[in-house]
Amino acid sequence: MKDRKTLLVIVRQSPYGSSLARASLDTALAAAALEQPVSLLFMGDGVLQLLPDQHSEAIGVKNIGRLLGSLPLYDIESVYIDAGAAARYQLDTQDLVLTVKPVDPAAMRRLINDCDNVIGF
Amino acid sequence: MILHTLCTTPGRDAFDNCLAILSPDDAVLLLGDGVYAGIKKTEAFERLQATGASIHILREDALAAGLMERLGPILVIDMEGFVSLTERYPRQLGWY
Repeated sequence: MKDRKTLLVIVRQSPYGSSLARASLDTALAAAALEQPVSLLFMGDGVLQLLPDQHSEAIGVKNIGRLLGSLPLYDIESVYIDAGAAARYQLDTQDLVLTVKPVDPAAMRRLINDCDNVIGF
Repeated sequence: MILHTLCTTPGRDAFDNCLAILSPDDAVLLLGDGVYAGIKKTEAFERLQATGASIHILREDALAAGLMERLGPILVIDMEGFVSLTERYPRQLGWY
């Protein structure tokens, strides 16, 4: 349907440093539940949310990694990762909680230009 | 002899400010978002090592972040270890 506007959610927050990681995820899931085509871009410190083996029960909060791992169930269209930030943190983009497409700054700009709406966290 | 408690990711100002004054007789404890500075082979960890300070990381925060298999040479401590660090170092300075 033509009236479905595409949404890009940009996630730049570490998973447990603040409540913003949860907020960005809730936004993406809410939009997807309303059948809006949603893409996610993990940028900067946001890439840290994608680390496997998170054991957040150690600090008594919900496991962001596990939550993200369930995204394919919710019709999230595409998930992108800031390749520079992933490299900075020595993350192997093949070994994360989600299948992600690595992007450089030019590709990030294109993603932002190509969607109807963008929200940054 | 200062115990520095570092709570921000390496991209933040606080990280650079802390590293600028770290000396070899100091200790650093990585906790909260600071744990990501403990990832081996990153520029952040190498800079931290180069200060010569003794580097510690809080176990529960490293566990939560998923870092236990990714840490460079670093002392993993629990809350009790944190307390004994505060006993050994007369000053504690938080970076967040």
